Amino acid sequence: MLAYLRLEIVRMFRDRRFTFFTLAVPVAFYLLWANVFDDGGRDPATGLDARTYLMVSMASFGAIGAALSSTGQRFAAERASGWLRQLRTTPLRPTAVVAARTVAAMVLALPAILLVSLVAVAFQGVRVDPLHWLAMVALMWLGALPFAALGILIGSLVGPDAAQPVTLGCYFALSIMGGLWMPTDRLPSGLRAIAGWTPSNRFGSLGWTLVSGHVPSATTGLVLAGWTAGLVGLAVPAYRRTMRAS
Amino acid sequence: MDAITLTDVAKSYGPVRAVAPLDLTVPAGQALALLGPNGAGKSTTISMLLGLARPDSGRVAVFGDDPLTAVARGRVGAMLQDGALVEGLTVREVVGFVRGLYPEPLPLDEILATADLTEVAKRRADKLSGGQRQRVRFAMAIAGGPRLLVLDEPTAAMDVGSRRTFWTSMRAYAAGGRTILFATHYLEEADENADRIVVMARGGIVADGSGAEIKSRAGTRTVRFTLGDQPAAGLDRLPGVTGVEIRGTSAVLTSTDADATTAALYRTGLAVRDLEVRGAGLEAAFLDLTSPDHS
Repeated sequence: MLAYLRLEIVRMFRDRRFTFFTLAVPVAFYLLWANVFDDGGRDPATGLDARTYLMVSMASFGAIGAALSSTGQRFAAERASGWLRQLRTTPLRPTAVVAARTVAAMVLALPAILLVSLVAVAFQGVRVDPLHWLAMVALMWLGALPFAALGILIGSLVGPDAAQPVTLGCYFALSIMGGLWMPTDRLPSGLRAIAGWTPSNRFGSLGWTLVSGHVPSATTGLVLAGWTAGLVGLAVPAYRRTMRAS
Repeated sequence: MDAITLTDVAKSYGPVRAVAPLDLTVPAGQALALLGPNGAGKSTTISMLLGLARPDSGRVAVFGDDPLTAVARGRVGAMLQDGALVEGLTVREVVGFVRGLYPEPLPLDEILATADLTEVAKRRADKLSGGQRQRVRFAMAIAGGPRLLVLDEPTAAMDVGSRRTFWTSMRAYAAGGRTILFATHYLEEADENADRIVVMARGGIVADGSGAEIKSRAGTRTVRFTLGDQPAAGLDRLPGVTGVEIRGTSAVLTSTDADATTAALYRTGLAVRDLEVRGAGLEAAFLDLTSPDHS
């Protein structure tokens, strides 16, 4: 499994255009939003100013994007091309394939979080307690897991042509409903009611609370753990099934 | 121990019966060709051998184990028809990776040499020519030193030169006492590279024997000419003729000895026009055995 993980990471970072866009998009959006929305106000829940709040939002947005894009479409394409089927004829187990791909996706999520933070500190004058920031990076890195599992689930269920729009649709829906583009209190009331149940909102709230020096709520942990268990629980059998179906 | 045992194995996809109940035993060390046209059930049989498809009924054993167990133990290497290469890796990296998944792999340099890839080892595998890519896929199949090597139409995308090199590589690998099973459309390929040929058609086995035996049965020709309104009586008694069929104004004779049949045909006194002699082809040669009512 480690050999496969290493192979996937090498492949991912060799695809320079892919890596560049995955990392550049959240940074670019951060710079844009940080200048559009900075009205001097503070987030009522955490007391964070807009630049810091958006740093976490866009780090979350970037991490989710990295986790989804390194799995969904790529996985679907490898399934269609027969590469995953070829792997199935080797001693590498399907669970090891899913596990390695999940970890590889999380490995790409880390630079997305780091890069947005770096740009926030270097160009937007954001100052946070280094320990709070470290806690945020560490837990957000773990929190990327359900999104990697979602990507594998999409890649296992959907064909290579549909995988990109489906992945993007999930990505945007999760980002908007999770309050990563704008705070959830500006969402229509129907959406606001379910926002707290989305993994993206809880993922962001993990970052917002940690970076402001607070401890994330148990609900946040439980919602994320629930999504992780559910999505991993669906992704593994979905992948196994696709190997049998053809 | 037998390398492969299929016992009363059947598989359908929806209403389509891909493999009819089928029995096949392949002793260890044998090189066996599965020969047959598209849709004969070769790929489905191979999928079941590799654990990629589960039979609806019957039992599949590979070295006495369930196929998935045999695969997990590293006893099987496969070259699938649609097994694409992954992007962004060199030949050495991809073959080295597959090799590392097996408990008792071959030395990397030996694999590359056997598959004739030493010179392109540092190039990106997905940027190679079609024939070279097939050799990479062959290298991946043998990398783990599997006791059973399964190849599904390995030369389908190759030119003549590549084919020759490929079969030389395959025979070098087989020489180590390993079991080989490959699927092909071509009788010549099967005859030259296998100890035993199993002919499949319509999901079943229609012939099983040495290359020489299968070739003599597949050597049937059809002799066709315009008969017009001349009488057909007596054509069935010409030397070599095993069947006579009148299609409109043409007579079609099936013959095991087309030379003798045509020579005798001209001596009958019939006005023979538009004479054509054709190889019946595998399907025609073996299909009658699967469906007695097939005309």
